[in-house]
Amino acid sequence: MLSALNLISQNLNAYLVLSGILFSIGAFGFLARRNAISMLMSIELMLNAVNLAFIAFGAFLYSSNARHAAEASVIALIVMAAAAAEATVGLAIVIAIYRNRKTPLVDEYDAMRQ
Amino acid sequence: MNASDITAMSPFVAAILVAAGVILVDLAWPGRRTAALLVTFAGLAIVAALTVAVGQAGTTAFNGSYRVDSLTTFLDLLFISISALTAAFAPDYLGERKLPVAEFNAVLLFAMSGAMLIAGSADLIVLFLGLELMVLPGYLLAGFHKTDGFSTEGAIKYFLLGSFSSAIFLFGIAFVFGMTGSTRIDAVSSNLAQVVAGTAPFSPALGLGLAFLMTGVAFKIAAVPFHYWTPDAYQGSPTPVTGYLSVGPKVGAFAVIIRLFAGALLPMAAQWNIMIMVLAALTMTLGNLVALTQDNVKRMLAYSSIAHTGYMLVGFAAFAAGQIQGLEGLLYYGAAYAFMNLGAFAVIAALQRRTGVSSNLATFAGLVKREPALAWLMTLFLLSLTGIPPTAGFFGKFYVILAAVQAGQTNQWMNVLAVLTVLNAAAAAFYYLRVVVYMFMRDPDAEVSVAAHGRLVWTGLTVTTVMTIVLGFFPGLLLDMVSTAAKAIG
Repeated sequence: MLSALNLISQNLNAYLVLSGILFSIGAFGFLARRNAISMLMSIELMLNAVNLAFIAFGAFLYSSNARHAAEASVIALIVMAAAAAEATVGLAIVIAIYRNRKTPLVDEYDAMRQ
Repeated sequence: MNASDITAMSPFVAAILVAAGVILVDLAWPGRRTAALLVTFAGLAIVAALTVAVGQAGTTAFNGSYRVDSLTTFLDLLFISISALTAAFAPDYLGERKLPVAEFNAVLLFAMSGAMLIAGSADLIVLFLGLELMVLPGYLLAGFHKTDGFSTEGAIKYFLLGSFSSAIFLFGIAFVFGMTGSTRIDAVSSNLAQVVAGTAPFSPALGLGLAFLMTGVAFKIAAVPFHYWTPDAYQGSPTPVTGYLSVGPKVGAFAVIIRLFAGALLPMAAQWNIMIMVLAALTMTLGNLVALTQDNVKRMLAYSSIAHTGYMLVGFAAFAAGQIQGLEGLLYYGAAYAFMNLGAFAVIAALQRRTGVSSNLATFAGLVKREPALAWLMTLFLLSLTGIPPTAGFFGKFYVILAAVQAGQTNQWMNVLAVLTVLNAAAAAFYYLRVVVYMFMRDPDAEVSVAAHGRLVWTGLTVTTVMTIVLGFFPGLLLDMVSTAAKAIG
């Protein structure tokens, strides 16, 4: 049982670096992908990276202060709820534009460029 | 949670209840737009009355995460006016296109409640929630004409860039929370004061957080170079929505800036003000230059709204350089801009009442002969947007530039910014007056029939006109309110 726990890093920076990498992958995906659904997924990845950062800060920096540690967890839950609402709106818009244009590729949404 | 918490938050709660009420009324009497409009306007009146009754108290609620001060009251009243005017301008346009009025009003009211939450936030997470609650309905409004290719295209661009910037903003909050140990704005502020004083260490992560916050906010206010979504989102949206988007979320995003930068991050003003100044200079210059080349009036006003963002940022830069007048100028500008820009978009929406009328310059050719009232009103709003006295827009620019010059005594770059603002205001006259030339001096290509406009549209236009003129002749009326609001923060 202990060996499994030892595999989990006890270093805050490890989690922040992971969070930064996830956030960068999300940002890169958002900028490089052409498919609206993929871009939506990239944004979700970025939000999850933010959650990881919140939880890591709460667990390491403020583990001595129960209120701060709990605050970080609650913030993560709030962010999840906001992300869900955002995904709902986003998917609705993607469906609406797919019915108009029959394509999910954003670089073909160029009707307003004269 | 106790009774005083609820009292402090009652305008916000009432706004949510009114939005839900509009949905319920539509459920009970489907398609009866009179009922929905009645609930909307009566509800907005109640929310406004509550805002005034609760306001000026300077109280905090919910353990210090929500704050009611004169700034909250001022911004809330502004948001309520913006929503009421949008609700007045929209039904004619929506009805002609068979779009539901009740849903529109409900979504609009939810967006307003988000903006009100921002205005009262004393906690970064509440600020984020308010921001999301303001922009999510905004995406829906942009794509409200869901069978129209332009509307949905504008909506998806607005949504993708908006969510991207929300994620960046939130990453910034995470680092500020991690490095200062709190999300409360006053706690963050006192912690940063220690960092500046040298009693607490400055970490690279904190710098990263500040950079992310700045980027996220710059996206929201559509500052250059983070403005790419704006022209398409504004041009594609149904015209009354464009009017709303160009003022509601813009003033809301400035409320975020004020609460965040003037509240939480004020101790580090010397560090971030240079970024605000660069953003301001780029934003107004590029916005105006590109607006000069536009033939579509909606797209032109989209670029002009980018330029106005730049002017407002000048006011904020002056505040960060130590001039409280900068914040006053910013708030005054926000109010003046809200009325004149909503008025201009209301005229375009009225012209587009019949489906198929484009927002190209050609639509405005010879307008004074067809609809003289609309042509003269449009001229007034465009003159006000240019900044010609005696209109609201003139005093907006006047106070902002004055504050910049005063700040220039301590920071010479503010002088440069002030001069740049004046030059930009002069350049902007070209594209605003081009519309006036079309309205008064060109003949239309084809015979165009005249559409009748509803009573609500005329009422709304009257309000925007009166405000544009009154704020131009008697700026003191609003200035008192603005300076008390600015004192709440500075």
